[in-house]
Amino acid sequence: MSTTDVAAAAPVRASIPARLALPAERPAWAAIIPFLLPAAVFYVGLTAYPVVRTVWNSVHEVLPAGDIFVGTAHYAELWLDETFWRAVRNTLTWAIAAPLLEVGIALLLALALYAKVPGGRFLRVAWFTPVLMSYVVVGILWTWIYNYDWGAVNVLLRAVGLEDWANPWLGTTGTALPALILVTTWMWTGFNMVVLLAALHSLPSEVIEAAELDRCSWAAKLWHIVIPLVRPTLLNLLVLSCVGKMKIFDLVWIATKGGPLWSTETVSTYTYKRAFEWSTFDLGYPSAIATVWFVIVMAGVGLLTWTLRQRQRLEY
Amino acid sequence: MKTLRRRALGTAFAVMATLPAGLGAAPAIAQAQEITLWSHWAAEQPKRQFVEEAVRRFQAANPGVTVRTTWYEKNALYAALRTALRAGQGPDVFYAEPDQVEYVQNNFLLDLSQGINWNNVEPWARQIWTHNGRAYGLPLEAWTVEMYVNTRKLQELGGSVPPSLPHSQGEFLDLVRRARARNVVPISAGVGDRPFPGAFLTHETLLMRLGLQDYGRLLAGEIRWDDPRVVESLRFIRSLVDARAFPPGVATMQLGQSHTYFHTNPGTLFFPMGSWYTSRAFNPSDQGGQPADFPLGVMRVPAPENAACTRCRTIAVGGSYVVNARTRHPDAARAFLDAFATPEMGNLWLQNVMVQTGIKADASRIEGPRAGYFRQLAAANEGSDYFFGIPQQVLQGRARDTFTQVVNNAFISGQVSVDEVVRQMSAAQQAR
Amino acid sequence: MAARVLTRAAVTLLIVLWTAFAAGPLLWVAMISLRSTGEFMRAPYALPEEWRFDKYATAWNSSGYDIYFANSLIVVLSSVAIVTVVGAMAAHCLARYRFPGNRVIYFLIFSTIVLPPQITIIALFQTLANLGLYDTRIGLILVYVAIQLPLTVYILEGFFARIPADLFDAARIDGYSEWATFWKVAFPVAMPAIATVVILNTILLWNEFLYAVVLIADDAKRTLPLGIQKFMGDQLEDYGMIATGLMIAIIPVVVIYAFFSEKLIQGMTAGAVK
Repeated sequence: MSTTDVAAAAPVRASIPARLALPAERPAWAAIIPFLLPAAVFYVGLTAYPVVRTVWNSVHEVLPAGDIFVGTAHYAELWLDETFWRAVRNTLTWAIAAPLLEVGIALLLALALYAKVPGGRFLRVAWFTPVLMSYVVVGILWTWIYNYDWGAVNVLLRAVGLEDWANPWLGTTGTALPALILVTTWMWTGFNMVVLLAALHSLPSEVIEAAELDRCSWAAKLWHIVIPLVRPTLLNLLVLSCVGKMKIFDLVWIATKGGPLWSTETVSTYTYKRAFEWSTFDLGYPSAIATVWFVIVMAGVGLLTWTLRQRQRLEY
Repeated sequence: MKTLRRRALGTAFAVMATLPAGLGAAPAIAQAQEITLWSHWAAEQPKRQFVEEAVRRFQAANPGVTVRTTWYEKNALYAALRTALRAGQGPDVFYAEPDQVEYVQNNFLLDLSQGINWNNVEPWARQIWTHNGRAYGLPLEAWTVEMYVNTRKLQELGGSVPPSLPHSQGEFLDLVRRARARNVVPISAGVGDRPFPGAFLTHETLLMRLGLQDYGRLLAGEIRWDDPRVVESLRFIRSLVDARAFPPGVATMQLGQSHTYFHTNPGTLFFPMGSWYTSRAFNPSDQGGQPADFPLGVMRVPAPENAACTRCRTIAVGGSYVVNARTRHPDAARAFLDAFATPEMGNLWLQNVMVQTGIKADASRIEGPRAGYFRQLAAANEGSDYFFGIPQQVLQGRARDTFTQVVNNAFISGQVSVDEVVRQMSAAQQAR
Repeated sequence: MAARVLTRAAVTLLIVLWTAFAAGPLLWVAMISLRSTGEFMRAPYALPEEWRFDKYATAWNSSGYDIYFANSLIVVLSSVAIVTVVGAMAAHCLARYRFPGNRVIYFLIFSTIVLPPQITIIALFQTLANLGLYDTRIGLILVYVAIQLPLTVYILEGFFARIPADLFDAARIDGYSEWATFWKVAFPVAMPAIATVVILNTILLWNEFLYAVVLIADDAKRTLPLGIQKFMGDQLEDYGMIATGLMIAIIPVVVIYAFFSEKLIQGMTAGAVK
């Protein structure tokens, strides 16, 4: 689990009336400051300052012996760095495909459990377990499952007579990225399912029962009734999953290290390689990568928030 | 907290060390020092035992100095060292390979020109670790690129035995096809966790076709990758790929797996590998070693017909020990490395590890059950002209990354054509 | 009618398939963890012929897991404790007091959630190295607190804001100080959300890898995810042993989840992650 996967997205959250009810009086700074100070220290020292320092790094050659100002040289190089743009493409593919898969399947599974399938409690636990494992464990486990000679995928294919389909899934340029996306789908669907199920349970039951009476198809019911009702939760989960995938590192690092032929290189792995593996000790170039990626992510999030706001305004 | 305590201890030692000096009785090495050693070879029993033996002897000869060793797997070790050194920390002595010139460039290594008996080290091995006239590493391990073969399988397929006889490229390709026809995977290789094993055949072929000098110029970017000799060499490797010579899972197979794939399950005919093959294969078979009765042979990589140099091959200095420039115990650390630089230790290395070494040693004195193997290895290397270093040790930056991804991996797993290799390598050489 | 039966069958089939897909891998590792590598290589998908529970002791002893485990415990428990208190204080403050800049601070902290780790990790490494905190558990704990702070504040603020203001007024009338109000009123009332935050942070940090790999080098200070990676390297092709090692890493989290899953889900349902 990456740290922020679980955070729901702020933009879609409703404002909280309790706060508005507070009496309008002079701010009690004597109480406020001590409460905020520790968090502020952590935030400034270990979040804000590093961001600024990274940006500063990005216009320098940062070597153990000292820093040399290079201006926009790193950015110019980055603009022509095929591997970087490859990594950006891979990461964006991941960040778009994985949320749709995860949340889509999770919704279907949640509906199945909501319909009171026997053994629901057991299923809920069974489906949730993958997310409890660390990406390191998951990475090792799935390199085994994708192993050409004895991995489960190829064993199954051979068992049903599709021997020609057997493939080193993580070693082929065309399949490595989809194979890893499938791993994150496997890992996160259960989590999304649990949250969606909770959302479904908190809906007033009459609404769904009323739908039962109408003789519309289940697909229509899903589209016209269920999805609109759980839309805020769905959006939160999509954004959350998207943000998590934009950070993905551990899984790739353990399973493919970005190979073959950069087909699974992500921005995180490339930054790490350039910072801590490349045969130079320069931290400036990787900082430039981080800065550009930071801008891309922020622009993406901003755009997403803005579109969602617009749509909400249109609807209400 | 730990750091603080360690610092305090360090000061205490420094104070203790100066005391006897003031009294006129200066021991070469201060009392009660601890040298930390971070080393690769966690899973390579013979090398590990050799180092542990060296540590035992060193500690016995230098009472009061202890060596605390942490064993790592290579990738984890490199990751840890990079950040630790950069942060101005790290162990006193650590494992490094000569391609890591960035350590030298950034002044992370202690000059070892003094304090080590270099007369006991092979001059070429010292040369590889020499920058600006200073020597920075003690070259323990030297290795050649070898073509290992299962002689029983070779015989069954009608190959010439003894295997040290050179095969032509045509004969070799023919053996590959015959093996395939019998459902034997011809060549084991795995590039899942290492950047080099998939390129052995390619660069040895290039080296023989171009000769020492031009091959060096190719790697230096002075000869282009679309040179006809280069293309011709790549075509030969491609013909092996087309004959399905490599395991279908080569792209993700790990180094350790490729060993078992060769000697046990399913068992292949050939295995191009560094001569440190033995440090895994001579483990007990339940720890990933080859079966006790395995018919191991050593042959030569097939030479191209119009080779510039049929006797050319690669020798590389591998695992070496270096000293952290920031160590607080430079003398003790040098003394520790010096303890390796004796003919006796050189022989012990050969005897235990069965891989060449940069320490001067006498191969004829090897005895025991493995002596036969070492004679085979010597025969295969008879009269060779050596190029120093594999391409991954010579290339830097983007060229190295591209070589790893393209030549080492995608090329032999059949995912890129000869033209694509040429295009990618040319682009990378230009980008620098 | 027939269509109904068909749909039913299809749904059942899908559920069975998904369950096999979701739970199969874990069961498979659990099986391998009880078998020797020899047995595994002969038949990768068989049940254990003999249940080798002693492998767990072997893996534990041969791998240095005791150290990694202890490190993980120290680092995770300390950082979760600190982040909970620090985060709760900030969240309480942001939810309860009105002051200029309140929403700005909230937004700043919150927006950190989408911050890619690349943007901070290199500079964090430099900063810790400058402070002499690189390669120390304390350094890692501080960083863990910092990276989990936004999520913690976000979840708790949402909950604190819904505590009725009357409760605080009552506390004031009873003569509670602001500090006492926080500890004796707000904190206990927010227990469900606090529990969720604690469980989530524990699971997330227990599995954290990227920051640990960059900020810790010494073997004696490694946490479990790094330990597993090293263990995997040491064991090379000893799949049976690696699987045992993996299981040792998985079991604690599964146990935590088994005990607290209801609490976690309650917390999330109660609005924490909605």
